[in-house]
Amino acid sequence: MLLALAPAARAATQHLQVFVTAPYLEMHTGPGRGYPVFHVVGRDGSVRVLKRYTDWFKVRAERGIEGWVPARDLELTVLADGSRFSYDTGDRNGFTEHRFEAGVFFYGDYGGASTISAYAAAFATRHLSGELAVGQFLGSAANGTTVDLGLAHVFYPEGRFSPFVTLGTGLVHIEPKVTLVQPANGTEQTAYVGGGVRFYLTRRFFVRGEFREHEIFTHRNVNEQVDEWKLGFAFFF
Amino acid sequence: METRLRILFLTSALALSGCSTLHGLRHRTDAPADSAPAAADTPSTADAAAGEDAPPRVVEPDVERRKVVVPHIRSQDIELGGYVGTLNIEDFGAHPVYGVQAGYHLTEDFFLQAEAGLSRAGRSSFETLSNISLLTSAERRYRYYDLSLGYNFLPGEVFLGSGRAMTTSFYLLAGVGSTDFGGDSKFTGNFGAGFKVLPLDWLAVHVAVEDRVFNSDLLGTNKLNSNLEAHLGLTVFF
Repeated sequence: MLLALAPAARAATQHLQVFVTAPYLEMHTGPGRGYPVFHVVGRDGSVRVLKRYTDWFKVRAERGIEGWVPARDLELTVLADGSRFSYDTGDRNGFTEHRFEAGVFFYGDYGGASTISAYAAAFATRHLSGELAVGQFLGSAANGTTVDLGLAHVFYPEGRFSPFVTLGTGLVHIEPKVTLVQPANGTEQTAYVGGGVRFYLTRRFFVRGEFREHEIFTHRNVNEQVDEWKLGFAFFF
Repeated sequence: METRLRILFLTSALALSGCSTLHGLRHRTDAPADSAPAAADTPSTADAAAGEDAPPRVVEPDVERRKVVVPHIRSQDIELGGYVGTLNIEDFGAHPVYGVQAGYHLTEDFFLQAEAGLSRAGRSSFETLSNISLLTSAERRYRYYDLSLGYNFLPGEVFLGSGRAMTTSFYLLAGVGSTDFGGDSKFTGNFGAGFKVLPLDWLAVHVAVEDRVFNSDLLGTNKLNSNLEAHLGLTVFF
C-alpha cells in the first residue's frame, strides 16, 4: 500500500501548490486568451502548477483536472506559507538591470550589402557589457561573414529609451564576386566604434538599433572603412 | 497571659514578614544591575511595561510557519524539431527538402523561428534540351537558413470525437536569411504560413508553406527567384 502511494506522493511534491484568494480562479482549455474557461476553482481551493508556456501556466486542480491559467490570475494566489505567488516574466526593472541579453537583427546594411546578424551580451554592471556579434553580409560585389567582440556602455538604463556606445575589434571574411579588382577570399582584422539605442517593449523584450563604423586593416597600403546599420529585436534574461 | 503570648506571637510574625519583604526589596533593587545585559535584548522598556499590563498567556503557541520550498516551474518556450517536404527551385524543378527548425516563443502571439534546410536541384529545361550542364554537382546543392518572426494568427482547437481536444494555431512567418545555390550565397527574404496541431502539450505537428525569394542571374539575366516550399514537420517543446 505504502509503495503504491509513494510515487503519487513524490509526484505531488514536485509541483508547487498555490491557494486561491480571489473569489475564483478560471482555468482555460489552452494557453491563449481566446480559449474558453471550462473549470473554476473557488476561494481557498488549491491547484498545482505544472509548467509555464509564455505568460500561461498549466495547473492541475483537485480530481486531476488540468487547464491553463494566465500569469496575472495566478499572481492572485498564495503559497502554503501565505506569501504571494510571483513569477518573473520580465519588467522595466529587469530591463534596467540584467545579466545577459541576446538578439537578432532582421534589417542590416553592411557597406551596401544586406546583412543578417545576431548578438549576445553579458553585463558586468548595469551600464557596461561585453558583446559578441556574428553576421553574414550578402551583396552584389561581395559576400562575407563578420565576428565582432567589444564593449558597450549604456548611458541611461533606467529609461525606456536608452542610448549606448560601443567599441571593439573583430574579423571579417570577404568573398569578392569581382575578382579582377579585388583580391581573392581573405580574412582581415577590424576595429569598430558605434552607437545606438535600445527601446523597451514589454516583459523581457526590446528593440535595438545601432550604427557601427568598421575600420578594416587590409594587407594593402590603405585601410577600408565600412558603415553598418542594424535594426533588430532582443530580449534579456 | 494568653493575650500577651498572642501579642508576642503576632509581633514576631510581623517582624519576620517585614524582614522578608525588605529582603525581597533589596533583591529587587539589585535585579536591574544583574539583568542589564538581558535588558538589552528586550525591545524596549515601553514594551516591557505593556507586557506587564497585558493579560498573562495561558498557552504558549507552539506553531511553526510552514516553509515552502518553491520548486522550479518548468517552462516550454523553446521548440525544436525537423521537417521534410518539397522545394520548388525555380527553373530547376521540385525536389525533396530536409530541414531543422528552432523556435522561441516570446508571447502567446509572437515567436522567433530559425530554419535551416537542404535540397538538391535537378536539371533546368535549358540543360535538358541543349544537353549542356550549367552547374556542377556541388553547385546543385541548395542550402538555406533564415531567421523569422512568427505570429500566431488564428489560435484554436480541433476535436477528435467527443473526448479529445487538441490546441492548434494558424501562424504567419516573415524573415530574412541566406540561400547558398549555384556557387553563390544570396540574401533571401522568406514569408509563409503554417498550421500546427498539438496532440500533446509538448509535441506539435506542422504543415507549412513558405516562399523564399532572392535575386539571381544564374540563367543570364538578373531576376527575382521564387522558391516555394511545402513541408511537414514535427517539433518538441522544451
